[in-house]
Amino acid sequence: MNAKKMEFSLFPGCIAKNMYASIEKSTRFVFDRLGIQLRDHRYTCCPAPGVFRGYDIDTWLTLGARNLAEAERDHLDVLTICNGCYGSLFGSNHVLQEDPEKREEINKILAQTGKQYNGTIQVLHFADVLSQLHDKILEQKVVDLELQLAVHYGCHYLRPSHHHESMNVESPHVVEDILNLVGCEPVDFKNKLSCCGAGGGVWSGDENVALDVLEEKLAFMLEGEPDAILNICPFCHLQFDQGQKKLQKFQIPVLHLNQVLGLAFGERPKKLAIHTHLVSTREIERKVKKLKKKKKK
Amino acid sequence: MNQIEKAARDSDVDKCVQCGKCTAGCPSGRQSRLRTRALVQMAYQGQDITDMKELWSCTTCYNCAERCPKGVNTVDAIIKLRNLAVRRGNFPKVHLNAIENLYNTGNGFPLSPEVAKIRSIIGLAKEPYDVSTDPEELSKVQKLMDITGFLDMVRGAEQ
Repeated sequence: MNAKKMEFSLFPGCIAKNMYASIEKSTRFVFDRLGIQLRDHRYTCCPAPGVFRGYDIDTWLTLGARNLAEAERDHLDVLTICNGCYGSLFGSNHVLQEDPEKREEINKILAQTGKQYNGTIQVLHFADVLSQLHDKILEQKVVDLELQLAVHYGCHYLRPSHHHESMNVESPHVVEDILNLVGCEPVDFKNKLSCCGAGGGVWSGDENVALDVLEEKLAFMLEGEPDAILNICPFCHLQFDQGQKKLQKFQIPVLHLNQVLGLAFGERPKKLAIHTHLVSTREIERKVKKLKKKKKK
Repeated sequence: MNQIEKAARDSDVDKCVQCGKCTAGCPSGRQSRLRTRALVQMAYQGQDITDMKELWSCTTCYNCAERCPKGVNTVDAIIKLRNLAVRRGNFPKVHLNAIENLYNTGNGFPLSPEVAKIRSIIGLAKEPYDVSTDPEELSKVQKLMDITGFLDMVRGAEQ
């Protein structure tokens, strides 16, 4: 990672753009505060690593290469804020960088639209970028949030583990370390690193299974008595937020890491639009307001 | 060697010792009929399993591949088997919606008028800067999918 460059191409992904705009909003706010420039490119869907790759590996690779080529033209690494986008683009980049024959084959297709990918850029997950910016996060922090959070890493950030050679993927602490900086406390719960149930096309293709996996996960989370579920992936976020509405058994607010940082950096919850989530975030908003008031006194 | 066996062996399925760690750690398998160990064995034997619905119950969480003591790439095997299944018309038809969205807008989840409104209220561009708002670029993306035969393959198999 080249955090010194301090400029990335933002890959927001379909869900943060088109369903949970509150996550795109908080991402732009947080990275602006951290002094990191985010550039926009004309992207498509990553495309999704389970469902679209499950249909046709070559189409997945071709569209992935096209996305990577957009950022490469401006010599920028790609910053993802979604595990699905990260898993997909990291995976396609890995193939295109390690298999020159395959890259040539895909480039022959891209050439028909005047594009080419040379394999010169990296795909990054925003949690890894933030983990190198602890000092800046502390500088920007206005309030310790005092929230108890059930951290959900999500599958495609941790696995396959060769994406993170230096990390123990059975016991990660990247996200907890960031949360500690802004006064949040991660709660412990059973089977913490398990799947949310949505990936691989299961969310739409096999809804009962997706909801059964989710229900078990939520029951374990509840044992930790969290103020909210903390995720680093808009697709997991969608599963937790919409899934709780469907199950009608739980009401745990759902927050993406960039939303928590946005709140800690002093932005008003309404401006970050966390109230647009399906599960009410009112308790979180009330708590943050109270803490800010206390700080002023 | 048939296509199933090839897909399986390309993912090192022949190294499987049938220990069952894949199935034991499968979050979907706890709630569905998905038995990764059995799928791996059947694929290795070259059985045609492309009509098995549980191929589509895998969330691709990679627990199985991560924990396999022999390094079998179970998830990639399932993805390759899905590719074969699609060509035979065996896939959840509800996915056609996302597939059409990808072709027509470049996104699996397209923008709705409600979210467009939220975007403009919270100070984001009403329409995201992506291929969906650039007809010329979108037509290039569609051309790429025409070359790989994506939509025809799915539609053809459906009929």
